[in-house]
Amino acid sequence: MTRAGLRPTAQQVEARILEYLQSELLSPEVTIGRDDDLLSGEVLDSIGVIRLAAFLEKEFGIDMQSAGFVVENFQSVGVLARYVVNSARGLDSTQGVPGS
Amino acid sequence: MLLHQMVDQAALHHPESPAARCDGETLTYGQLARRANGLARLLLETGVQRRGRVAVLLSKGLNVPVSFYGVMAAGASLVPIDPRSPAATVARIVRSTGATHIVSERGKRETVAKVVRECPTVAHVVGLEAEEDETLPCHPWTAVEELATDRQPEVAVIDLDPSYILHTSGSTGIPKLIQHTHRSAMSFLDWAVSEYSLTRDDRLSNHSSHHTCFATFDYYAAGRAGATTIILTPAVMMMPGSLSSLMEKEGISVWYSVPTALVQLSLRGDLEARDLSALRWVLFAGETFPEKHLRRLMAQLPEARFSHVYGSTEVNVCAYFQLPTGSDLDFPLPIGKACSNSVLEVADSDLEPVASGEVGELLVRGSTVMSGYWGDAERNREVLIRRPAAGGLEEVYYRTGDRARVRSDGNLAFVARSDLQVKVRGHRVELEEIEAALLSLAAVEEAAVFTVPDSEGSSAIQAVVVAAKSADWSRQKALSSLKELLPPYCLPASISQVDSLPRTPTGKVDRNALRDRLQEPGELLR
Repeated sequence: MTRAGLRPTAQQVEARILEYLQSELLSPEVTIGRDDDLLSGEVLDSIGVIRLAAFLEKEFGIDMQSAGFVVENFQSVGVLARYVVNSARGLDSTQGVPGS
Repeated sequence: MLLHQMVDQAALHHPESPAARCDGETLTYGQLARRANGLARLLLETGVQRRGRVAVLLSKGLNVPVSFYGVMAAGASLVPIDPRSPAATVARIVRSTGATHIVSERGKRETVAKVVRECPTVAHVVGLEAEEDETLPCHPWTAVEELATDRQPEVAVIDLDPSYILHTSGSTGIPKLIQHTHRSAMSFLDWAVSEYSLTRDDRLSNHSSHHTCFATFDYYAAGRAGATTIILTPAVMMMPGSLSSLMEKEGISVWYSVPTALVQLSLRGDLEARDLSALRWVLFAGETFPEKHLRRLMAQLPEARFSHVYGSTEVNVCAYFQLPTGSDLDFPLPIGKACSNSVLEVADSDLEPVASGEVGELLVRGSTVMSGYWGDAERNREVLIRRPAAGGLEEVYYRTGDRARVRSDGNLAFVARSDLQVKVRGHRVELEEIEAALLSLAAVEEAAVFTVPDSEGSSAIQAVVVAAKSADWSRQKALSSLKELLPPYCLPASISQVDSLPRTPTGKVDRNALRDRLQEPGELLR
């Protein structure tokens, strides 16, 4: 998606993450919004985080191996979407500028 | 010495030293002693009896150590309950132990209200504001603060009195309640303080929930040494990068957890960017640490020493193996050798010692062994066995249910669990309990549960069900029903639907055949 230059907007990323959480990680009666706390311990557990990260890598072509696993990036779906968009942008620019 | 007296000692000698830190806030030993004594006074004034039970349902925070020491200072047994448990499980534990008081917090009001409705023994709740429509006497945390005092209440408690009752899951769906005394806990702490040279300067991580035997070390070994417990919140534990950063900032010097947490830290914790030179000891237990992950972690933390500890909630830690560094490290890691306060023996099915090197069940005798399972005389007779000793006397051994053998180097090696009790990400899980929960659902006709290795080096729970003919089967619905019945770590990673279950000639579900069938391509449904 990112390689083709069709970079998704933060809103689109949010929608995809919410869809994934809702269908794969949360039970049907739990609904969450973009600003809800993802790390309260009530929504995700540590294995859920790893599955979510794997989804982000596959879906948006970003690299989560590095320094991305911090509270600041995962606080809410809204915050996480911004992180994904910024990471995807970073990836695009490094493709043309080696070493940056 | 009794567990709660450790805090008064520390408060007397170094009141300003931090006893615990959480989310950047500090609780000094002086504050901890005063608040714990305040809680003890409140409990005594509201009718807690010596050797009575007080349940504690708290999420991670500085009130955890206050409640631990406060309950014991009142002469009662502490019953810490997994804060993630569904209300039905909490109620079951409260009812079984006959707890008269619950210590909790605002966020747990709904659960506590349900539990109180189902448990007539509960007379008081500490940690909640009283609400007009409620008949139950509630006492907010400010009431504890008002009663805070330097003086510990005078209550007659001896070291053989119960200190706490921990819980694990049970095969019938009823949690096993494991009672320890002040002496059995203290014996473990004295060994730990001496073996790992714990001092006031140490900062111990608290990764595990407060109802586990891991937390026994994190809180009480710190109390014994006058050290600090660094309580890790769920958010930090889920984010390895934040966790490693906090470890650096707080200067954590002793870590204790299941391997899974350390694997995450190694893979995703950005350890190269951190200065973790304060970390002296890394203790791990509960599961096999996958070799490649452990070798990498040891290379990432060259200044730390690693310790593989063996035990269970019933016996605390009874054996350990200090890992040699670098090239001297051989896998699989052994259980190691008995702690100085334990004797380990490998026995055959008649409970007689096996020949040297033979495989048998591991038995433990020692001062850290539990007093027994609360309310389960039958199981106590099965696992706490008496064997004849010299002089016409008898000695009590605990049957671990683990198969083991002594290696040629004198170290014990783990072979397998004797029964269906397994470890999943460090939690003890009884597969039959999960089967029982599945079978309680109307849509399920037959169920079988087993584990397979997962990509994190732990085990994943796989469930296979035969749906009831008339029922409208939905995996999502089944999972959400299971969440009401089981703690999160007991939930299957996958539930597959099949037409029939393979059976052994005697008619038992053939788990091995199921496992093989699921490993064939295309068979694993998610």
